[in-house]
Amino acid sequence: MTVFWEIMVRAYQRQITYRAAAIAGLTTNLFFGFIKAAMVVAFYQNTSSLSGMDEKAAVTYTVVTQALLGFLSIFGTFDLMRTIYRGEVATDLLKPISFFGLWMARDFGQSVAQLVLRGSVILLVYGLFMDMDFPSSLMQWVCTIVSLLLGWTVWFTVRFLVNLTAFWSPDARGIARLCYAVTMFLSGLLMPLRLYPEWVQEFAAWTPFPYVLNTPMEVYTGVISGMDLLPALALQVLWLVVLLLLTQVIWNQASRRLMVLGG
Amino acid sequence: MHTFSVYLRLIHGLVRSQMQYRVSFVMDLIATTFYTVVEFASLVLILTRIRTLGSWSIPEITLLYGLAELSFALMDLVFAGFDPAIFGAFIRQGSLDQLMLRPVSLTAQVMGSDFGLRRLGKCLMGLGILLYGVWASGIDWTPEKALFLVLVLVGMVLFFAGLFMIGSTITFWTVDSVEAMNLLTYGGRAMIQYPMSIYQDWLRRIFTFVVPAIFLNYYPVLYLLNKPDPFGMPTWIHWLSPVVGSGTFLLAVLFWRYGIRHYQSTGT
Repeated sequence: MTVFWEIMVRAYQRQITYRAAAIAGLTTNLFFGFIKAAMVVAFYQNTSSLSGMDEKAAVTYTVVTQALLGFLSIFGTFDLMRTIYRGEVATDLLKPISFFGLWMARDFGQSVAQLVLRGSVILLVYGLFMDMDFPSSLMQWVCTIVSLLLGWTVWFTVRFLVNLTAFWSPDARGIARLCYAVTMFLSGLLMPLRLYPEWVQEFAAWTPFPYVLNTPMEVYTGVISGMDLLPALALQVLWLVVLLLLTQVIWNQASRRLMVLGG
Repeated sequence: MHTFSVYLRLIHGLVRSQMQYRVSFVMDLIATTFYTVVEFASLVLILTRIRTLGSWSIPEITLLYGLAELSFALMDLVFAGFDPAIFGAFIRQGSLDQLMLRPVSLTAQVMGSDFGLRRLGKCLMGLGILLYGVWASGIDWTPEKALFLVLVLVGMVLFFAGLFMIGSTITFWTVDSVEAMNLLTYGGRAMIQYPMSIYQDWLRRIFTFVVPAIFLNYYPVLYLLNKPDPFGMPTWIHWLSPVVGSGTFLLAVLFWRYGIRHYQSTGT
């Protein structure tokens, strides 16, 4: 656990050294948030509710999502893949921590830095300039945090799996980009899933992607509340377990392959 | 003309090298195109549910969206080397100094330095979206309108190219890539994909008076569709589109030349 902590802190520190990049990224996120919020408002011109989500909840969903972009690394990561291609992965295997744990610690450190540096400021600015919802009770806050952490872990595991394809394919970048494009849509990043036709929502529910962002955001905005909270969180846990098992299997295959190639 | 032939030869080389690994190329092409597909699909799916966006129908939005998408994709295909993010990295690594030593046009070399054929996929998607919009939105076509559509397209390509060049030139002094330009380029493209009437006043003012993007796409499409202007601008305003585009490009070229003359290497 101490190793995990150390790696996480390092990753955090590396992130906060690039202040200029953080400010620039922040401005971009803010701007796109305003554009998307305007679109959401336009969508609601002739209707008051779409699949049980009202305008205020949809706007809140959209802008809070902007604050979480960095935290969730929702546009995807390629770092692990790069170390595989360069053969640096061999040194990582010597470290006194599991390979999965090592990358999780690095990733989480970065994510926390993004949340502190970018997310909090974005949330503050929108809070000042826009009429938005906040979780109404302590219960809702706790569930939001739990759901968000589950969402982060689900997405980390997916990204880990996607990056592992680099062991088999020289085109892992393309595969990753495709996966990340699908995620943009099915996770509810582009627009809250409830704004889409029912069949899209039903289809998305069978993939792991909505449980990354859509579920935490629906919990945050109160679209999911009361007795519905438990099944929502349970589904996230279920997907996480499935993905972790899959990771175990695939990692075993991948590491065996690494031995053969000799890094 | 010499500049142009240098550019073409450079592109030829890059295309040949990219075609060496066919599978990788196809993979890249699909992935690059897929982002456009997904974004557009997201919009259409919501629109099929709510039918109209303000006073705009789905085909009308498609026309607006397709014009913005195609012009940006075309620009990105030809001028990718001027993308401030890419050019900034170029300067930091000192690669520009190498290019300057060669006895051929620097502009052509920079312009073609990041040519990627995979971006053709975006162009084709953009064209498809635009053609559907043109076909379905029920424009009363006249020869004048057809010519106008081409001028608008060219104007927008030049406009975005100008923004790329200005961004790159600023990099001469700031070294670090200027993300603020990304706001205008990528942000501008995102913004003009939708009717300007959906935005709050302050946002629209920025894109009218600071960056005159409102004239590029929104007013021309209002004209093509004979739609009333909610902001009550004079009726000739749609003709500003090609003017704003080529004007921005001209200024950018002058600024770029000025930048080259005053460039000092980072010494890397």
